[in-house]
This record gives sequence, structure tokens and C-alpha cells, in this order.
Amino acid sequence: MDNYAVRKLKEKIFLSFAWLALLLTAIILVVILGQVVYNGASAINIGFFFERPAPPGEPGGGIGPGIQGTVVLMALASLMGIPLGIIAGIYMAEFSESKLASAIRYFNDVLTEFPSIVIGVFAYTSIVIFMRTFSAIAGAFALAIIMIPIVARTTEESVKLVPASIREAALALGIPRWKTTLRIVLSTARQGTITGIMLSLGRIAGETAPLIVTVGFSFFYFGGFDKPVAALPLYIYTFAISPFESWRSLAWGSALVLVIMVLVVNIVVRTITRQKYR
Amino acid sequence: MVRLMDIGLERLKNMTIDMAKLSENTVSTAIDAYIQSKDVSGEIHKWSEELRILQDEVSELAVEVIARYQPVASDLRFIRSCMEISYGFSRFGRYAYDISQVLGTFGDLSKCDKSLVKKAGEQAKEMIRMSIKSFTGRDAELAKKVRNMDSVVDEIYLQGVENAAKTRQDDFKCSVSALLILRYLERIADHATYIGDSVVYTITGERSPRK
Amino acid sequence: MAYKFEVEQVDAWFGAKQALKQISMKIKENSITAIIGPSGCGKTTLLRCFNRMHELVPDARVSGRLLFDGQNIYDDDVDPVKIRRRMGMVFQRANPFPMMSIFDNVAVGLKMNGVRNKAKLREAVERSLKRAYLWDEVNDALDKSGVSLSGGQQQRLCIARALAVEPEVILMDEPCSALDPTATAKIEQLIMGLKEQYTVVIVTHNMQQAARVSDYTAFLYLGELVEYAETVPLFENPRMELTEQYITGKFG
Repeated sequence: MDNYAVRKLKEKIFLSFAWLALLLTAIILVVILGQVVYNGASAINIGFFFERPAPPGEPGGGIGPGIQGTVVLMALASLMGIPLGIIAGIYMAEFSESKLASAIRYFNDVLTEFPSIVIGVFAYTSIVIFMRTFSAIAGAFALAIIMIPIVARTTEESVKLVPASIREAALALGIPRWKTTLRIVLSTARQGTITGIMLSLGRIAGETAPLIVTVGFSFFYFGGFDKPVAALPLYIYTFAISPFESWRSLAWGSALVLVIMVLVVNIVVRTITRQKYR
Repeated sequence: MVRLMDIGLERLKNMTIDMAKLSENTVSTAIDAYIQSKDVSGEIHKWSEELRILQDEVSELAVEVIARYQPVASDLRFIRSCMEISYGFSRFGRYAYDISQVLGTFGDLSKCDKSLVKKAGEQAKEMIRMSIKSFTGRDAELAKKVRNMDSVVDEIYLQGVENAAKTRQDDFKCSVSALLILRYLERIADHATYIGDSVVYTITGERSPRK
Repeated sequence: MAYKFEVEQVDAWFGAKQALKQISMKIKENSITAIIGPSGCGKTTLLRCFNRMHELVPDARVSGRLLFDGQNIYDDDVDPVKIRRRMGMVFQRANPFPMMSIFDNVAVGLKMNGVRNKAKLREAVERSLKRAYLWDEVNDALDKSGVSLSGGQQQRLCIARALAVEPEVILMDEPCSALDPTATAKIEQLIMGLKEQYTVVIVTHNMQQAARVSDYTAFLYLGELVEYAETVPLFENPRMELTEQYITGKFG
């Protein structure tokens, strides 16, 4: 009886700690979100989405080029990074015993841990210097490199979770192995793969360091893949530390827009590719 | 490894052996009583009823074992044979009763020539003994021998028929009663043969054509 | 009577471990052949040799000849994918594709092999589901998930999926081992109907099932074919002492 009381007490204490931890996490999230919404909302009006930033000190202006640039960069990075990541992930899962797969897995893990500025500098030395200009393509390249290991790892994990029986069923139907992998196995692993893609998109949406050394800074709308391009993280970074009240307000607005963009992409992608059955 | 089914099979075997002993005794008693002109029909009737009931019990147990354990191979053959063999034993009882009835129906037969019946009776008793021994000993060779002995009884029976055809008026009672008993003995011998066949089937899985 | 399969001295290995030893047997067209034997005797391996699924396991290999309609499917110039297309396989656990509707589960084999015609697909799906005795239960829910069905229905869905590609042979690997008696009875009834059009080979650990559905039974023990005969004689009067002991449950 005594033992039981002690055990019950222990359980209560432990549960309280768990609740406390949950509460702390939630509070931090709410505070950040609240601050962004509170400060950002006041900066936002219709023009804010379309206008270019006003010159320093002048009131008003918007972040149109930044929004457009971020969309372009994320799309371009996705185009490069997602297919490569998925293919690498599939290879690691399907040929997990092979030496090449372990090598890829190892480098992939290293790449995940890489500081993003280093990746930025790599893009700078290999593309910016070569092209002699900051460019959207260089930025997207750097972001793609950041995406690949995340997409690859989550794809590998979710493809590995597909039961062998599904694969055998497809092969026994006389479906060639490559089709089995791409059309049946990957489709079964869709949910996990998409989670990985979302994770990587969330990650690159806010990446600032690699962009500083690759896309330059621009007040202008998109003018070509080989030209510098605006990006929200750079707007936040530049405006937030500026001495001008109007720019700092733009920074808060940009932060809010970025958060909403990530959320919207998340919801849209999940809706489109939603698992039809469960 | 002892299987659950083995308990049922063991009981089946014991019941069939009980029937074997009882039926053998019933047939010998009936034959001996005829030869010694003793009336034993009451006793024989009781035994043959007992055999009939035992046969029902064997059938029921056999069906139970089949329903419960879905026997195959030698188990299945053994069960089928037990059903067939127990039927044979119950027929022994029935024919023994018929033999014992003859005395009651025809009255005094002490003056008759019983040598043919005696000969056929000995042969039939031997066949019963051998068929039972082959069953308890799982002896296919012995069981096959029973089949070869059947023709002896058949011949004696045919001789009895010929005798009856040629019989004189005053011997009528003797020859008809003897012929009846020979007829029953011929049937008993046939069933003994079938029992031997069932034993062969249990052991080898081969079925002999019925005569 | 034509032989669908002629197995000639087939050996199969997993790495260094030999799973099948010198198997030779002939399987008649439009018959149901059951393969029985204790766990690990190689019965599933033998089944997977018929449609070249065995070699999918790393380090697994096969030697000997296995004639399918007279053609050795282990010849160098034979494409295993083409062989598998001519044989349907049903597995121990029902494995419908979880992300697909009932319709797509049945149609997938045809779709992946290039059939695009909607009417043709519909027709094939309906025919296959009917043949698998599932049509009446699902015809108003073809767009529902395959995994929303009961275990027995899922297995019949998998049979329909295998039938849809118009195979000549149906290979079944303990198709009822995860099902209750009612679902099992339905599948067995279905198997009996299949032999009119197909040659069926079924692996089962349930001897009564083999006795119920098959025309021929093969008993495998430790990778060797101990006895192969017509089903009723094999169960009534097996020739080999080992078979006798196994089917009467005296070992195993």
C-alpha cells in the first residue's frame, strides 16, 4: 500500500514536469509568434505587398521584390534540390547494403551538419566568382545544397518503412523494379517524403547567411536568373539593424510575411498531396 | 509424442478386441451346442445383442475421432477398419444366434450326421481366431491366409447343398438343418475373410476385391 | 494431359545454405497442387522459384531447369519480369497497396504495363473482382481504400489483383494463414473455381486445407521432395514413412 502511494506520487511529479516542459515550449512559441504578429501587422497594408522599399527615412514602401525573390529562390532551389534529394534517398534505402550507399549516407549526414555560411561561400566561389555577379541562380544553388540532405534522409527513412511485402506484391505482378520503386514504393512513402520536403522548405525559407554571399541585395523586382535578386531574410536582416524607424517596421512586416508564407506553402502542399485514404 | 487422437484410437482398439473375444466365444458356443444338441439360444441371444450394441458404440467413437481429429493415413485406415471389423463381429453374433435357433425349430437332431457341420465349424472357428489374431497383432500375412481358407468352407457348404438335393424323405430334417447351419457358417467364414481384408488394408493401404 | 511446369533437379540456396535439394516434379495444367511440409522445409522457396522471386533475396540463387510450357525460365535470355507477368502470386498476409483505391489495386498491374483505356480497365477490374468473389461486396465502394476492407476481403482483393493481369498460373503462399475459418472457407471455394482457367500451386501449413482443395500434394522435408502424389491416395495411404509421420502429426 505504502509502495503504491509512493509510486503514485512519483508519477504525479513526473507528469507535472512533462506538463511544465510543454508549457515552456508553448510559451516561447506563442511569445515569438505574438511579437511578430503584433509588430508586423501594423506595418502591413495593400501596398506593402507590391511596393518596393522606400528610401531610408521615408515612410511607407513595401517588400514586393523580397516576396517575389523569396518565391523565385525557393522554387528554383526546390527544382534542383528535391529531385536530387529524393533520388539519393531512394538509392540509400533500396541499396542500403552497398558501399556507395553508405558513402552517400555518410556525406549526407556531414552535409546536414554543415554551417550554411560555408555552403554559401562554396556557391560564391564556384558560381558568383565565375559569373562575376551575384545571381538568383547562385542563391538557389546554395539553398538546394541545404535542402538535399534533409530531403534525402527523410526519403530514405520513409522508403525504408514501406513493408517488403508491398515491394514483392508489385514485383510479382511483373512490374519492373524501377517502376516498382518510383510508382509503388515512393507513392506508399509519400507522406514521409513530403514531410521531409516541408522541413527543408521551412529551413531554407529563413536561411540568410548563404544568401548574403550569393544573391547580393536588391530593391528591385526579379530581372533574370543571372541577376541579383531580393529575398525576405535579407530584408529582415538589413532593415532590422538599420537606424531608420520605417525600415525596422518593414523588417517586422517581412518577418510576418515569411512566417505566413511557410505556413501557406505547408498547408497547400499538404492539401494537394494529401493521403487519399487512411 | 502422444497425440490426443491416440487416446481415442486406443479405446477404439480395445472395444474392437472386446468384441473379438465375445464374438469368437459366441460362435464356438453355438456350434458346439448344435453338435452336442444343447439349447443355448437364450445365452447366445444375449451375447449377440451385446455385440450389436458394442458395434454401435465403436461406430460412434469412430465418428467422434474423425470429427475431432480429422485423421489421415494409417490412422484413417485403422478407424475405417475398426468400423468394418466391428460390423463383422456383430454379424458373427447374429449368425451364431441363427445357428442356436435351428435346434429349437427342428427339435431333436441327436441322430443326425453332423460330420460336415463339425468340419466346417472347425474351419470357421479357426478363421475367426486367425482374423482376430491378425488384427491384434497387425499381421498382414496372417490376415491374407484367412482369405485362402474361405474356399474350404465354401466347398463343404456346396457339398451340403448336394447332399440335401439327394436326400431321402426320412433324413429330411437332418439335411435341411445341417444345410442351414452350413449356410450360416459359410457367411461367418466370408465375414472372417473381410476382417482379414480390413486388417490388410489397415497395414498396407491395399484393398482386396470383395467376393 | 499437358504439363504446365516441369521441375528438373532444381537446387536453391540462400548464400551457403541450401534450401532445396534436387527437386523434380511435373505439374499438370488446370490442376491444383498443394505443397506441404514443416516450417523451414523449403516449400515457400520452391513456390518462389516458379516465378523467379527467389532470386530477389540478396545472395539467393537457383540451379537446375524449371520448364514453363516447355521453356526453361532459368535460361540466360529469359526476362524474369516477363515470366512474373504470366503468373499471379498471392502472399501469406494480404498486402494491398495502401495508398490506392480498391479499383486501382486491381487495375495497377495493367496500368503499369501500359493499359490506359478506361473502359478496358473498368471491364478488367469488374471481371477480376467477380472472379475473386468480391464484386458483390465492394462494387459500390471501388474508390475506397483497399486497406479499409476486412482481412479476408483484402486477401480476395489481392487475388483479384493477381487475376487482373490475365496470368496462366496462380501461386499462393499460405494465403489463409492469417484468416478466420469463414474467410478461409471463402478463399478455398474460390481456389477450387480457379482451376478451370488457371494452374494453381498453393503452399500451406494446413494439411486439412491441402486435403480439401488440391488434386496433387507434394510433401517437402528439409529441402527434399519426399513424396508427390494425388492428394487422396497421399492422405489415405502415403508411400513414404516420413509422409505418414508428418501428416498424422507424429512429428513436426
